[in-house]
Amino acid sequence: MSKIGYKKISFIFLLIGLCLAFFVYPDPFNSLVDLNITEKPFKLGLDLQGGTQLTYQAELSEVEEKDKEERMYGLRDLIEQRIDVFGIAEPLVQVKGDRLLVELAGVVDPLEAMKMIGETPFLEFKEVEEKEEVTEEMIEMSSAYNVIELDRAEEVLSQVNQGGNFSELALTYSDDYASAQQGGDLGWFKKGTMVEEFEDAVFNISKGEIKEEIVETVFGYHIIQKTEDENEQGEIRASHILIKKTNPEDFLYSWKRTELGGQHLKTARYGFDNNTGDPMIELEFTDEGSKIFETITERNINKPLAIFLDGKSIIDTDGDGKITSEDLYAPMIQEKISGGSAIITGENSIENIRRIVSRLRSGALPVPIELISYQNVGPILGMESLTKSLKAGLFGFVLVVIFIILIYRLPGLLASVSLFLYIIIALSLFKIIPITLTLSGIAGFILSIGMAIDANVLIFARMREEKALGNNLKNSIKNGFERSWPSIRDGNLTTLIVALILFFIGTSFVKGFALTLIIGISVSVFSAIIITKVFLRSFEGTFFEKIKFLWK
Amino acid sequence: MDFLKYKKLYYLLSSLLIIGSLFSIIYFKINLGIEFTGGSIMEIEYDLDRPSPQEIRDSLSGIYLEELTIQPAGEKGYIIKTKEISRETYEEILLSLDGARENYIESIGPSIGKELKTKSITSIILASMAIVLYIAITFNGIGIGKIKSWYYGIIASGVGFFHDVLIVLGFFAVIGHFFNVQVTVPVVVALLTVLGYSINDTVVVFDRIRENMIKSHALDIDQIINKSLKETIGRSVVTSFTTLLVLFSVFFIGGETLKTFILAMIIGISLGTYSSIFLAGPLLSSWVKIKEKNNNKNV
Repeated sequence: MSKIGYKKISFIFLLIGLCLAFFVYPDPFNSLVDLNITEKPFKLGLDLQGGTQLTYQAELSEVEEKDKEERMYGLRDLIEQRIDVFGIAEPLVQVKGDRLLVELAGVVDPLEAMKMIGETPFLEFKEVEEKEEVTEEMIEMSSAYNVIELDRAEEVLSQVNQGGNFSELALTYSDDYASAQQGGDLGWFKKGTMVEEFEDAVFNISKGEIKEEIVETVFGYHIIQKTEDENEQGEIRASHILIKKTNPEDFLYSWKRTELGGQHLKTARYGFDNNTGDPMIELEFTDEGSKIFETITERNINKPLAIFLDGKSIIDTDGDGKITSEDLYAPMIQEKISGGSAIITGENSIENIRRIVSRLRSGALPVPIELISYQNVGPILGMESLTKSLKAGLFGFVLVVIFIILIYRLPGLLASVSLFLYIIIALSLFKIIPITLTLSGIAGFILSIGMAIDANVLIFARMREEKALGNNLKNSIKNGFERSWPSIRDGNLTTLIVALILFFIGTSFVKGFALTLIIGISVSVFSAIIITKVFLRSFEGTFFEKIKFLWK
Repeated sequence: MDFLKYKKLYYLLSSLLIIGSLFSIIYFKINLGIEFTGGSIMEIEYDLDRPSPQEIRDSLSGIYLEELTIQPAGEKGYIIKTKEISRETYEEILLSLDGARENYIESIGPSIGKELKTKSITSIILASMAIVLYIAITFNGIGIGKIKSWYYGIIASGVGFFHDVLIVLGFFAVIGHFFNVQVTVPVVVALLTVLGYSINDTVVVFDRIRENMIKSHALDIDQIINKSLKETIGRSVVTSFTTLLVLFSVFFIGGETLKTFILAMIIGISLGTYSSIFLAGPLLSSWVKIKEKNNNKNV
């Protein structure tokens, strides 16, 4: 390449540098020229800029006291991982009692923050728990339920009294499915067929009349309407709306949570049964989960095992296309299942299956959480302190430039320009990607700047040696770069290897540090080797070459 | 200048520093920051104008508080995090802050997960192994078979970790005990930076040694090492000096909150430069001599 080529390329580099500087820090340009280039700000970390603090409440009531702390910390780790997927976010996640504090940098809209945290599906496996006898607690619980049911019955009764259509109301509300389909009609029946309370009520009202009070029987709460008077056979006809009661005995059989939960789920897939072609969900458990699953299936042979997602059945079982509280997925366990995978069949809607699998894969949580509050928070390191430090850093950098020029004269000046370009390119990359800059990220960047300076110094030291041997400028440059390359390569590569290991194994701030270091090293080697070289070579054979003073 | 002449002196100095650091780490223990240990979190709110964080810091300067972070919250509040404090200290804080209303105070757990702690050890071990491996490969087959290529790698990572980083840690154990300065996340980041810097520095010096080994068959090991050190010291000094220029600027005229971080860097980088010149080279020479002695014994 002729020397004119180098000059041109140098010029191009400078031009690119200018444009990027524009991009990185448009303010001074905006004031000079009358353009209004919108600034894309740097994404700064929590410590530098502040962001949003979200508080999540964890539902720990079903967790044993001794497990609570472990669950909270497991939750903490999982949430942190979710947000920090690419190592560029560096959130701050802390356990505060039974709550979780999540601080996200720069994100101001809580909805956006919640999206980052993602779905919080809560997976449970429940087995049947048989109790021997009715307990106080069961009696209390059923009474509590019945209060609600009675209220409901009263509600329906008032609707009926206000002139509501009995048949329609029966169809909608009655828990007696068979009669509800007939508008509540029970058909013709004789005395002695129905229970005492029902009989007493219905035989004492007239045709067409609706019993004005709720009638309570062992089945529940009835709203009764006599539709036909006694016929020759001694039968009457009536309709009713039944609101079922809860009995303490109902609680003899309940679903009890097992130790198997979302934290034991390794992954979930959907697939199709080989024989029937029916869609199915496949759950794969972790090693620990597999063992637990094996124990659970072993002790529940010929008993059902229910799977709940977010408190409801995991799939739609009553065929209405929706997953509601009416659904219950509890397949019978035929045998002990080892190997840690479970297949769920019976869901016919591919859409539902896809949705379920995607939610399970996003990572079932060890405890359910709910967002209870959020607010904006300021930077941890303090704005004033940071601005001051930034100014100090710039001042230091100016000192460095002066120092380098003093020692290495013209090459020093060129190195400074090259360094400046390096910084601009790196900053542009940080803006474009974008990388969330925190203190550790900046530290990684500073290290790479130090290494860039080092590379330049190595080159110049070599060049001097070459000149001392009597070489002309062209050869000094050529040999200088050649001879210093192994050192630059080795130094940068070893640091790069360390950075890569830190990046892939580390989390949070270690990752942030490693990331900027990796980018920094890659760009700095380029700038030191190529940019500086081009600048230097553009001076070959020119008038400046002869001025000894410039080169020392 | 003969760098190797006083190597026993350098070894002595460094050994003292290392032993001193180990002692202070074990005896004084490392004063870890809130992110590692957890502590107390409190939120206060002002009805009218809220003061600046600096003003709050000043108001609280009378109370002995371990590590304070002050974060603006919403429009009118502040979230303050410290190490665990007692109810009395909390009352004191509220009294010192004029016009502040208490919102809540609770315990808060560490923000550094268990995973990071365990992974850190793994990554350091892996990284050291990787360095040794890389250098063993690139320095392979270098001339005078007395210096096996993996000596370099071990010295580079060993010195970097067991000298530079360890002494900085020891220093922080001391000032942590006497001045209540804490090892926070930025300090750990500084240690990582120092490690990277030290490795880079040492590798460059070794590279020169390697080059001279190839070029000058006539000289013996010590002469080669000396020559190499002489040739690289200029560059080492310039590089560290430029970095220290920036660091000192920020330390003296920069903001409060970064001072510990910068201090760790300054000490670490100075140590790193010292170790690449005065420890790495001599260690290489000593290692070879010991090996030679053993070989001669066997022969």
